[in-house]
Amino acid sequence: MIELDAVSHTFADGSAGLSGCSLALAGGRRHALLGANGAGKTTLLQHLNGLLRPSAGHLRWRGNSYDYGRAGLTDLRRRVGLVFQNPDRQLFSALVEEDVSFGPLNLGLDDATVRARVASALDAVGLGGFGRRPVHQLSFGQKKRVCIAGVLAMEPEVLLLDEPMAGLDAPMQAELEALLDRLAARGVTIVLSTHDIDFAWRWADDIHMMAAGRCIASTPAHQLPSQLDALRAAGQRPPLALALHAELVAREVLPAGAAPRSMDALLAALRALPATELSGEIQL
Amino acid sequence: MRIDAAAYACRWQGVAPSAKGLFALAGIAAAWLARSPAALGMLALLSMLATLAGARVPLRTYLAVAMAPLGFLSLSCLTMLVTPAAGGGWQWTPALFPAVAGIALRSLAVLAAVLGLVLTTPMPDLLLLLRRLRVPELLLDMMALCYRMLFVLRQAWDEGSTAQAARLGHGGWRQSWRSTGLLAGQMAVQVWQRASALQMAADARAWQGSLRFLPASFPDARRQVALALLAGAVLLAMAVCDHVWG
Repeated sequence: MIELDAVSHTFADGSAGLSGCSLALAGGRRHALLGANGAGKTTLLQHLNGLLRPSAGHLRWRGNSYDYGRAGLTDLRRRVGLVFQNPDRQLFSALVEEDVSFGPLNLGLDDATVRARVASALDAVGLGGFGRRPVHQLSFGQKKRVCIAGVLAMEPEVLLLDEPMAGLDAPMQAELEALLDRLAARGVTIVLSTHDIDFAWRWADDIHMMAAGRCIASTPAHQLPSQLDALRAAGQRPPLALALHAELVAREVLPAGAAPRSMDALLAALRALPATELSGEIQL
Repeated sequence: MRIDAAAYACRWQGVAPSAKGLFALAGIAAAWLARSPAALGMLALLSMLATLAGARVPLRTYLAVAMAPLGFLSLSCLTMLVTPAAGGGWQWTPALFPAVAGIALRSLAVLAAVLGLVLTTPMPDLLLLLRRLRVPELLLDMMALCYRMLFVLRQAWDEGSTAQAARLGHGGWRQSWRSTGLLAGQMAVQVWQRASALQMAADARAWQGSLRFLPASFPDARRQVALALLAGAVLLAMAVCDHVWG
């Protein structure tokens, strides 16, 4: 769906954001971008939305080079929506429904259609009935969901999220994950950057690892165990469920096979084992 | 912040801003027309009652918000009673008291009408009303952004100030002044960064050059405007009667 071909980007201060980054994002899948701070994840997302233009290289949407003309960018941003990391830097309207309506109105839709899209987007993020609430009275998590609704109301084919879990507590993270699952089930392609390897391992279909402005590896998530070196190069440790499963297999507690994608799944596998008495003495 | 909180919490929050605007306008016009102190006092009282009893704005909030303009009004009126003396210096002039009382009451009636509007109408609704009145888009965009940024920057200021206090930045008046100066400098950078971020956020959602938002709908607006017209007509009738026969 989207391809980056040797994309480089140099900022005005001379620092490199991307350095020959090549990447292919297939449609209808969940993509996780992993990398340390400064690896180029945010810069990459801003290129995908057309906010930044490559200094070198090309981006393609369904095989066609990005069109950076006014009409081309409007069309691109209708199809590829970006949710920023800090909601206070994205929300600039006083009321929730006003902010959510901003994108669809920019697409030239009539008021009735916009109103319907705003209601639908707010329902999708679980904020139905919050339309007339002032933005400054919302919690951080609610603001984050308003940001997502503001992009959903444009009905994008691809949803980009820059570290969506940052700053959210565990219940809010679970709610957001459920929302992402619902969107993925509707066929929306989701690309998100994250530092949370356990979440990426549990949630993603494809994992892309970045370091120093380059995509150093891309793999279907179930093949991640064969890419642990690239994972470490991207500043990440192996997922806990994967590491623990490997230990348990090595100690012949669990049979070898596909590693579970979450600690819950691993616990379920352990609980499914027949209960046995420990034999031998514990040596301290 | 107090005005904003009152506007969102009052009973008239969902009333069409055009209705509230018409009622306030009628109150201002009536205050301009009325002559006698009794009529002016009555107009001020009715506007206050409408805000306090009708919209249920708490008295404490009302007084706190009215304190600054009332202080300005009192000071101005008191200075009007002091005139230059014939032999130089200043003298107290009680003869001017009726005229000054008239001015004070007229100002009070206008103030009550304006407070009735701002304490019951959230800023986005006021912007909507101004948009209908064909106020230039650029000015409205700036007002909308300033309103939003007010809360964002206040939060940033509070967080910065708390972080300074946690490291003894406000231990004495000297440190406090220094910390406040540093924070003010830092806020200038933050304003610039946030402005860039908002521009980027607007571009990401296909910004076309002006901030367009979905106008709020007030399904009961027609009935509310009719009621406001009726109440406004009562105020104006009082003022006209006072003007003609007072």
